[in-house]
Amino acid sequence: MTGKQTALYFVRKAVELLATLLLVSLLTFLAFSVIPGDTARTMLGANATTEQVEALRVQLGLDRPLPIRYLSWLGGAFTGNLGNSTQFRTSVGGLIVSRLPVTLGMSIIAFILIILISYPLAVLSSRRPGKLGDQICSVLGHILFAIPPFVLSLLLIYLFGSIFKNFSVGNYAAPNVDFGMYLQSLLLPAFAIALPKIAMTFKFLRSSIIEQKASDYVATAKSHGLSDLKILVRHILPNSNVSSITVISLVLSDILGGSLIVEQVFNLPGLGRLLLSAISQRDFPLLSGIVFYLALVTVLLYFAADIFASLSDPRIRIR
Amino acid sequence: MARHIHVLKVHHLTLSFPTRKNPNPKPVLDDVDFGIRDGEILGLIGNSGSGKTMTSLAIAGLLPEGAAITGGSIKFRGQDLLTMKPRDRRKMLGSDIGMIFQEPSTALDPLMKIGKNLDEVLVAHGVTDPKERREKILSTMSTVGFADPEAIYERYPHQLSGGQRQRVLIAGAALLAPKLLICDEPTSSLDTVTTVQILDLLKSLCRKLQMTILFISHDLSAVRNFCDRVMVMRDGKIVDKDTTSDILTNPKNAYTAELLTNAKLDTRMLGIERAHVDYSSSPVLTARDIEAGYSDRVFGKGSKNNVLKGVDLEIYPHEILGLIGSSGCGKTTLIRSLLGLLPHTGTATVVGRRIGAVFQDPVSCLNPSHTVKWHLNEALRVAERKLTKPERMSRISAALSEAGLDDSFLGRKPHQLSGGQRQRVAIAMCLITNPGLIIADEPFSSLDASSSAEILKLLTDINRERGTSFLLVTHNIHIIRQIAPRVVVMDNGKICESGLTSEVLSSPKAPATVKLLEAETKLHGA
Amino acid sequence: MNKNVDTARAKRFYTVGIILLSVVLAAFLISLFWTPYDPYATDAAAKLLPPSSAHPFGTDNFGRDVLSRVMSAAKFTVFISVAGVAIALILGTLTGLPAGYFGGFTDRSIMLVNNSIMCFPGILLALVAVAVFGASMYNVVWALGLVFAPTFARVYRAGTIEIKEYDYITHARVMKIHPVRIMLLHILPNLVPQLLPATVIGLANMTLFESGMSYLGLGVQPPDASFGKMLAESQAYIRVAPWLVIFPSMMLVFYILGLYFISEGMRVSLTKGGGS
Repeated sequence: MTGKQTALYFVRKAVELLATLLLVSLLTFLAFSVIPGDTARTMLGANATTEQVEALRVQLGLDRPLPIRYLSWLGGAFTGNLGNSTQFRTSVGGLIVSRLPVTLGMSIIAFILIILISYPLAVLSSRRPGKLGDQICSVLGHILFAIPPFVLSLLLIYLFGSIFKNFSVGNYAAPNVDFGMYLQSLLLPAFAIALPKIAMTFKFLRSSIIEQKASDYVATAKSHGLSDLKILVRHILPNSNVSSITVISLVLSDILGGSLIVEQVFNLPGLGRLLLSAISQRDFPLLSGIVFYLALVTVLLYFAADIFASLSDPRIRIR
Repeated sequence: MARHIHVLKVHHLTLSFPTRKNPNPKPVLDDVDFGIRDGEILGLIGNSGSGKTMTSLAIAGLLPEGAAITGGSIKFRGQDLLTMKPRDRRKMLGSDIGMIFQEPSTALDPLMKIGKNLDEVLVAHGVTDPKERREKILSTMSTVGFADPEAIYERYPHQLSGGQRQRVLIAGAALLAPKLLICDEPTSSLDTVTTVQILDLLKSLCRKLQMTILFISHDLSAVRNFCDRVMVMRDGKIVDKDTTSDILTNPKNAYTAELLTNAKLDTRMLGIERAHVDYSSSPVLTARDIEAGYSDRVFGKGSKNNVLKGVDLEIYPHEILGLIGSSGCGKTTLIRSLLGLLPHTGTATVVGRRIGAVFQDPVSCLNPSHTVKWHLNEALRVAERKLTKPERMSRISAALSEAGLDDSFLGRKPHQLSGGQRQRVAIAMCLITNPGLIIADEPFSSLDASSSAEILKLLTDINRERGTSFLLVTHNIHIIRQIAPRVVVMDNGKICESGLTSEVLSSPKAPATVKLLEAETKLHGA
Repeated sequence: MNKNVDTARAKRFYTVGIILLSVVLAAFLISLFWTPYDPYATDAAAKLLPPSSAHPFGTDNFGRDVLSRVMSAAKFTVFISVAGVAIALILGTLTGLPAGYFGGFTDRSIMLVNNSIMCFPGILLALVAVAVFGASMYNVVWALGLVFAPTFARVYRAGTIEIKEYDYITHARVMKIHPVRIMLLHILPNLVPQLLPATVIGLANMTLFESGMSYLGLGVQPPDASFGKMLAESQAYIRVAPWLVIFPSMMLVFYILGLYFISEGMRVSLTKGGGS
């Protein structure tokens, strides 16, 4: 019975994933297809000739009916072939891949920082809730949470500029050229993205640990003679992890979104800059590519979080 | 070691929660003094807030933060617990002192299999050989009554019933055969049949493992066949202490006597008269072959687990029909189907007027955002739309006064009402729609004895004066016996027995009925 | 015992939150009638002046008075967040209430669309909407309203699922009251304790997004002032004229932090203290 339920759960999740992916692709496609007015005209601007517009329409395949265009776009999206950027005249996929090291690297460093800092703080803070250390952490968390990442970036740039005279932003090096330089250039922006998210994760973890501490099974474990440390490691943390997985997956997708802005402040050549130039040049093939692949990553992240949660918590599988 | 008459001796224990503003607050435990004799079962009875749970936590060394013991001592087999190191005290739990708590549904780590949950006890107390641990767990599980311990070992907590989980917890507490077992309301969330089974199990374990039990409960009469001695606690003090039989038959303390009378609802004093039922007239409700269940289907396939397996039922005008059955028998599913809240197959025909409903929980029966007047108006809107404002107001007042409340309640919100008053407003909402049948689902179970008696009187008055029929679902066989002329018993999704109440209850035929009545007698006396 | 601690905590949150927020709201209200200088007037003779009695917050690289610009920026920030949250609340009601109340297929389809929208990183969705429909304040409001709607829908849905199990809703269903009436009159008023903090947090988060978009030049359009745009313009002068960065960020953080503190106070007092 249980095995069957578990199998059914995974089948349902897989179907959900497929449906979400289709819907996400459809939304992305439609967003760029139902633009008020003529897409090609909008892309070229008001002073293009009718011939130019017509040529672009054929080039973009806009003369075909909508469902056909969607299917061919969808096929392209999943094979990594989304056509050429109208601005750079090279393949959209290649452009995105070339910018990944910045955005992805920054997100990964930020995520590591979040986990490394928020977990120990939450465990320490929840030991004696309401005491001085806990209160300082909580208030600091609220303040950090309220500072927009780009403002935080400006503050960090200012601070580092005052301390290290030869500090300057934007001296980025590709990882295969100078890996040390690469990490160094990403560390500060990653920190700026991570700080508010550390506050958020800390707050959630702390209250979840406090909640678990008051639960009945912890009382049982105490009555069984287990030490407090053992109860923390074996019962409280695993249980609060299950409830934190969703929050952490949200944090991850927020990091991706946040990095788009922060890399602009630090003048880094990542997806954010590509996105902005696509927006300003009305480069819709490139724009839809960036949007779709970022959404795809998020969909997969949420899916992975769901699967991870269900593997840790048997109760989820029977819902 | 010297043999002590008292396994545990609590000596003038005083405990309070001092704060910076109030360093000497009213003590939560005030000069608590008692001993538990070797091998006995000692009951500790009191209402919530009486300090009974604090007493048990003080013994176990699990007091909440901020609690301070200001005087007295606790000695376990001659050893002073309060002077021991916290670490050593924690080590004693599980091996010398075992504990079982109230809520079995949440007392096991949901992420761990049962076997793992129990395995930790042995690991914590230094049993290093995995094979030995497994053997020990399996044998203890069969001692607490699991026929197939291997299967349970591999299950997760959510896959077990409440009674099974409580057995697992008992197994966990008894694994190392502790000298003292503290049970804090271990049966209060279980139904009567399971309660009796768990109490029997505890009693036999007590013999087999030579344990001593401190049994904490709020229900004095429920421990009659279980405890050797009973202590009654009130406001942090022990007010009465005697053998169980003496306390039950001849309570010397006024508070103990009050607890005893409260436990039993005496309807004879209320002047309840039964209405005359004409069983030859046509029923107000006829249900045929009702089937309902929860399906776990995906894409139209999958099995359907039927909770109801073909229920036939009829309710006659002027009748109060009792419906009894152990938890999980399908009572709730049946009434939700009859009320049209669940998809079901089969037919439920209501003749004439509409069905009203009164539910169990007086806290959630009214909408906290709205006034009493709004509630009645909302109910009236459904029954009759074309009424002038004065007509509405007079209908509302009439319904409210019939339910025993006056117009001063109109402007109040639910949080300004007592449990009994809320239940009255819910009844007034039924009355205003002029129903032919009211389905009442455990309307008394969350009310205290005097409020239940009043609501009971109200329901029978409505039955007699308006001729409204009732389907009364309750676990209280005592009430059924006195007000319901006919009763149906449900078991496993079917009606297993029905007939005149006097006949069914005096000579039950179905095994489920026999079981229910036995449990009732054992717990609450004849 | 714990309740007193909670009320004291809630009170502290409210006090600090209201003080921070009132600074921004005062700037916003006064700017409707009066600012010390014309926020758009440039003055080549008064470029990059440090704070003084004539210009308490200094002047920018065009010689515009920073105090006046900060006050007028408060206006746009408050307007965009309030209007955006209003749109998100309405969309959330329309989708979250029926999803939670009816469950089953209705729930699954509404939540599928909702979750799909949530799969686009919020800022990305807002940027794209603005890219497609053009950068203007009203498009920012619509875009942010749409981006935040799924979050509110989740709050509505979760609350509805909890409340519909209560006996008073069951009773309303037994009485055959129309579902729309049940949702709007019986359930919605009881969602207020969850909705209020969510709304206030929504205002704060929306401001985070709006300031980010304005920083990228895709929010409020020049010459109108916004905190984000002011910060973007002043980044080059961060060494020589730090006041250009300090005052707008201060106001921005006051607004967001004030809202956070108030929502925290609400959460403590509405969910724990006022639970009975």
